[in-house]
Amino acid sequence: MSGKLSFKGFCIILAALFTAILFIAIAFLFFVPSPQEIWKSMTSPEMIFSLKLSVITAAVSSAIVMLLGIPIGYALSRFSFFGKSIVKSVIDLPMAFPELVLGLSLLLFFGNTYVSRSFEIIGLKIVFTKLGIVVAQIFTALPYSTRIIYSAFEGVNRRYELVSRSLGYGEFETFTKITLPLAKKGLFASTIIAFARCMGAFGAVLILAGGSYMNTETLPIALYLNMSYGNLGMAITSGIVLIIVSFIAIAIFEKLEGLNAVKS
Amino acid sequence: MLLRVENLSLEFGEFKVESASFEVERGDYLIIIGPTGSGKTILLETIAGFHTPKQGRIYMGNEDITSLPPEKRGISMVYQDYMLFPNMNVYNNIAYGLRKKINNDGEVRKEVKHIAKVLDIKHLLYRNPTTLSGGEQQRVAIARALVVKPKILLMDEPFSSLDVKTREKMRKLVKDVMKEYETTVIQITHDFEDVFVLANKVVIMKNGKILQIGTPDDIFRKPTNEFIANFVSTNVLRCRAVGKKGNLSVLNCNGVTLYTPDKSHGSVIVSIRPEEIIVSPYKIFSSARNILKGKIIDVIRRGNLVWLTVDAGIKLRTVITPNSMELLGIEKNKDVYLIFKASCVKVIG
Ligand SMILES: Nc1ncnc2c1ncn2[C@@H]1O[C@H](COP(=O)(O)OP(=O)(O)OP(=O)(O)O)[C@@H](O)[C@H]1O
Ligand SMILES: [Mg+2]
Repeated sequence: MSGKLSFKGFCIILAALFTAILFIAIAFLFFVPSPQEIWKSMTSPEMIFSLKLSVITAAVSSAIVMLLGIPIGYALSRFSFFGKSIVKSVIDLPMAFPELVLGLSLLLFFGNTYVSRSFEIIGLKIVFTKLGIVVAQIFTALPYSTRIIYSAFEGVNRRYELVSRSLGYGEFETFTKITLPLAKKGLFASTIIAFARCMGAFGAVLILAGGSYMNTETLPIALYLNMSYGNLGMAITSGIVLIIVSFIAIAIFEKLEGLNAVKS
Repeated sequence: MLLRVENLSLEFGEFKVESASFEVERGDYLIIIGPTGSGKTILLETIAGFHTPKQGRIYMGNEDITSLPPEKRGISMVYQDYMLFPNMNVYNNIAYGLRKKINNDGEVRKEVKHIAKVLDIKHLLYRNPTTLSGGEQQRVAIARALVVKPKILLMDEPFSSLDVKTREKMRKLVKDVMKEYETTVIQITHDFEDVFVLANKVVIMKNGKILQIGTPDDIFRKPTNEFIANFVSTNVLRCRAVGKKGNLSVLNCNGVTLYTPDKSHGSVIVSIRPEEIIVSPYKIFSSARNILKGKIIDVIRRGNLVWLTVDAGIKLRTVITPNSMELLGIEKNKDVYLIFKASCVKVIG
């Protein structure tokens, strides 16, 4: 009995301790530099550039991630097709894959002369460009989003779709009128995750887009570059901005979801 | 002939439905019964077009609809758990299928209002379906399926989650509504009372195979094998209500008088479960109201039970253990008394 109790106590203390350390660490981010220093860094052209770049690329990337993830997640949840299990594991792979290695693979692929030339024909340059940031972010976030979208669709009873079909609606209409609205919660969650992942994407972005100053310098890269120059104030400010943007994004999405729920 | 299912075979992993064949005429009320896991739902969903059969054909009239998508079949489905769209209110649930057929809001409104009145759900039209009771959800689901005037209405155990009273009421309602909308119905049930009250055709399924097809009378009086006999073993009698005695109704069943506490008027169908009938070689005094004398005309040992058929002016099946058979000296052609309480005589239709 007392053995059990102390084990329970041990687990709780461990959880509390870990949470406390994490909180204090995050608080350090806000309190180590002086407010003036943060303000100066925050309004510097480099920071404003990075913030803009990060928000725009992450927004574009997460939109594309959702556009890709919804059909993929639906196919995985509803249809059986040849090679389905392979698709499933390929999609899961990047989660177990270090981001840096993912970036390297992408660089080797898009840097290949044949591949890069075929993209250049349609006017797209990917390696060491802003487009590269988007590509890297998509590949980092897609597996996570697809997983959530997949389980969102799994949570919608197929019989709703069957009833809709029997009432005269085709496959696609049923998808838009029944399946999507019923999977809404999961799709919102997936969008938040996609955006957060894209904002925070570092390794793959660094390697594919090159992390060059005021060009492909997203917030995580700004943090890294300033850190390595010994520019602690700028680095910390990048971190703070990253956190603030993520929180704002989550707040906006939750507000949107709330409005949506009230409307219907 | 409205629907013909011909040699239909299906495969779902380990489970197989093998060469199912049956026909449905316009206006039929066909009921499928069978133990759980026998493939009833799958069969229904295949008729609706949700699964592609491995073999066999389905014809609607003369048209082969085996590979027609569900939205083109004109077959509606009501599920056991109703599947009302939670993202729409009751009105929009019912209007859903209509809007696809009619492009006129006024017309849609008229049809929805009409069926809502018939099914007594007018007061619920602007409710969220998740806030409805089981019986209310069921009526909404039936309204949604019926309002598009399907050629065939499929219902998968539509009454199973309702209490006994509501179930009886719903049966009556469904029967009337089907008449008004001239619907042909295929329904799954576990409840033999549905069969007697609603069906004019019965299909019995087990392990993916159809064991017997016939009228309810065929199935209950001439079950073609043991499984069916066991499954439908209840005694079903057609009687006439002839009066009252205290708070009991007096029934005349083929010249035999029975008592029941259920309200009865005119001709009624009653059921008596075999296991509720006590068998005795002597007349015993008890508070049970129904005491009949009869001759044992059949004794069948099945598993560790013995099934007796006793002719007491009406033929009643009853069941005892081999032990009590020995104890009571039961054998064919012996006279026995059958004793059962008035409350064991249930009026089912
Ligand atoms: N998608 C599927 N994959 C594999 N097996 C399935 C699938 N759907 C159903 N089955 C199996 O097919 C069999 C028949 O199922 P079905 O739902 O038709 O039974 P049922 O007769 O409707 O039973 P119940 O009376 O319990 O509703 C079951 O053994 C079930 O496990
Ligand atoms: Mg079933």
